[in-house]
Amino acid sequence: MSEKKHQEMLRKYAEVVVKVGLNLRAGQRLVITYGATRGVPLQFAPLVHEIAKAAYTAGAKYVDVVWGDEDLLPLRISYAPKDSFSEYSQWQIDAVLDKVQNGDALLSIVGSNPDLLGGLDPEIVSVMQRAHLERWGAISQHVMKNAVNWCLVAYAGEAWARKIFPKLDAEKAQAKLWKAIFETVRVDQPDPLQAWEQHIANLRARADYMQTKQFDALHYSAPGTDFTLGLPVGHKWISAQSLAQNGVTFTANLPTEEVFTLPDRNRAEGVVSSSFPLSYGGTLIEDFQVTFENGRIVKVSAKKGEAALQKLVETDEGSHRLGEVALVPASSPIAQRKHLFYNTLFDENASCHIAIGRAYRFTLEGGEPMTDEQFMAHGGNTSLNHVDFMIGSPKMDIDGIRKDGAREPVMRGGEWAFKVK
Amino acid sequence: MNEKEFNAMLEKYADVTVKVGLNLRKDQRLLVRGLIEDAPFIRKVAESAYKAGARLVDVAWADEKVGRIRLEHAEEETLSDVPNWMLARYEEFAKRGDAQLAIHSSDPALFDGIPAARIAINRKAMYEKMVEPLRKYENMMNWCVVATAAPAWASKVFPNLSVEAAQEKLWEAIFHACRIDTPDPVAAWREHTQKLIGYKDYLNKKRYSALHYKAPGTDLTVGLPEKHLWSGAEETFKNGITATVNIPTEEVFTLPHKDKAEGVVTATRPLNMQGVLVDGFSVTFENGRAVKFSAKKGEEDLRNHLATDENAVRLGEVALVPNSSPISQSGILFYNTLFDENASCHIAFGNAYKTSLDGGDNMSDEDFTAQGGNKSLIHTDFMIGSAEMDIDGIRADGGREAILRGGEWAFTL
Repeated sequence: MSEKKHQEMLRKYAEVVVKVGLNLRAGQRLVITYGATRGVPLQFAPLVHEIAKAAYTAGAKYVDVVWGDEDLLPLRISYAPKDSFSEYSQWQIDAVLDKVQNGDALLSIVGSNPDLLGGLDPEIVSVMQRAHLERWGAISQHVMKNAVNWCLVAYAGEAWARKIFPKLDAEKAQAKLWKAIFETVRVDQPDPLQAWEQHIANLRARADYMQTKQFDALHYSAPGTDFTLGLPVGHKWISAQSLAQNGVTFTANLPTEEVFTLPDRNRAEGVVSSSFPLSYGGTLIEDFQVTFENGRIVKVSAKKGEAALQKLVETDEGSHRLGEVALVPASSPIAQRKHLFYNTLFDENASCHIAIGRAYRFTLEGGEPMTDEQFMAHGGNTSLNHVDFMIGSPKMDIDGIRKDGAREPVMRGGEWAFKVK
Repeated sequence: MNEKEFNAMLEKYADVTVKVGLNLRKDQRLLVRGLIEDAPFIRKVAESAYKAGARLVDVAWADEKVGRIRLEHAEEETLSDVPNWMLARYEEFAKRGDAQLAIHSSDPALFDGIPAARIAINRKAMYEKMVEPLRKYENMMNWCVVATAAPAWASKVFPNLSVEAAQEKLWEAIFHACRIDTPDPVAAWREHTQKLIGYKDYLNKKRYSALHYKAPGTDLTVGLPEKHLWSGAEETFKNGITATVNIPTEEVFTLPHKDKAEGVVTATRPLNMQGVLVDGFSVTFENGRAVKFSAKKGEEDLRNHLATDENAVRLGEVALVPNSSPISQSGILFYNTLFDENASCHIAFGNAYKTSLDGGDNMSDEDFTAQGGNKSLIHTDFMIGSAEMDIDGIRADGGREAILRGGEWAFTL
């Protein structure tokens, strides 16, 4: 792709982000950040500039960018005093809180180095991660309630691209990843906005079907997986679009292929096996199994990264339980690309998945204004963490179990087992 | 310079910044303010700071392009918005007595083509909502200002070179001006600092009541308050740390009396005001106020700037720099105050540093102004020195003594 053509695609991408993803309203402020790197990685500037232009053109009052430098984190771990890793600067939280408490929009851009903290002292990494999550939790609370229109999108960062395409040089790998991003977010289409309208309608029909069924539980079976997951009364199946508490309808993830709700935090039984590696806190966790009893994780094992997985589960009580269940057909355009993205935004849209940790308040009827205690009493989970991991494959069958115990197929061989209009 | 040599120079520069500039202490936190283009240098500073025992190096990254996009596209009534957290960030560090590094590498032509009125709204808001509220934290942190050869700035300094070649040339100039190309830069700085302190001590003993400047286009007398204090190289902050606040630094400076400036002064170098250049200008003073000025370029911008508040037209600093300073000798116009002010004698419109007055640090604004100190939202240096400048010190009894002759120190220590 020529430089000029690439710039044009970035411009179109920015338009989709602002109009479809955020659906930014005139007079709103927009804050752009990314938690894991304590701000938007500096190399994402070309996309940030296009988004700023698109946002101001849409009438944004202020576009506030919180920048972060990926390289400073490993550097700190290598050289800073041993007792200093819980130090944290509060302002980067306040910058975002100021917006989400005032009805403004939030954009996060992923695409940083997935192996950033790999090979570094896991004790220090975990102390730093905890200091971050404890503060970032104040922001997550608002996001989990859809307090404002927010969106998560990707930039083809250099290290990430090379991780996906290790045989290519940096430039070619980035070009190839950009192609994948542009296609999966439909900016290669003649009219991207129209393409999104249609895609959103298709996903909504699947969610509406599941909502009408009011299943009491889902049963998963696949090689290494035999697992039953309860669904609480009042669970809401959500797809692409959501209505935020500030009155704006938005699309939280670009791309998105999933239909999802929350599980009952006390009802998960059996064993589930990962079907894709999980990149967590800069460490790759591969070929892992998680065993549940009464909704609680009682055992984990992994061929690689078991210590990191164990640390993740031990973060708090809620990280022993599940907060999301999502259905994605194995034929999704992202799964069709036949390679791992090492990034949840993409990989979760390639496969059925579940999430360790907190549940989104908006996936429970009336969940937004509830206190944590009330939310948990209804089966919703709370935690510092929300970490998706992939369990779907073309060998997965899922049944919906009705209140009366009868079963109906939801997925067969990884594909939807029902038809919608 | 190959990449390895450049990397080694960058490391030495970071060490001078942390050890001499900030004099960073173990267990301090460090807030760095820089452009996203400054990342390679900032990472070296972070490494050097952590090795010196810093508990956290936090960076307030700025992206000038986003700033320009805003001034191009945002509604005019929104241009005075400043997010609360920008101030809160400084407060968080200042209250703890942490350290702060500012990297001044702005694109001098950043706002070219943006209407002056839009720039003025934005600038006034920054003064009112950032600069002024921060005054109460003045001197609570040990701070330092340095520069990096950011691409837009380098291209402005060397417009006939490719961006890459311009950056290389500007880096060489920075390394030379900051003594990084000497065998032991930290030792070279200790020696240089002692010399500046010698000049400062000499002038403090003299207790001149006024300075008289004479040069082509300049015939200016500036009164000094009775309790004025000359400073040079080092400053001691409220957290007890003594640091070298500017790298490079060649100046010895104090505050003028806000009501006592008479005559005409002509700028010898263009003035870069956050992206707008003011060039070829003269200012006439009466009773300390600039009553008349003219500029070949940027007169309207200067007029807007000096209308920021009532005392923007009065002086807040007078600084002495010999014409033989390495920066002056380089012959380069840097379009960056940190360098250009160290190439030339200069004076500043606007606010005076309270530390330039004996006991001023703990004075109320009222007491400070009663003793001749100026208070304003702005502090804008402009260059007036040259090889043709003579400066006399005028004693209380009216007697005169030579301070500078032909742009050079006229006394020996």
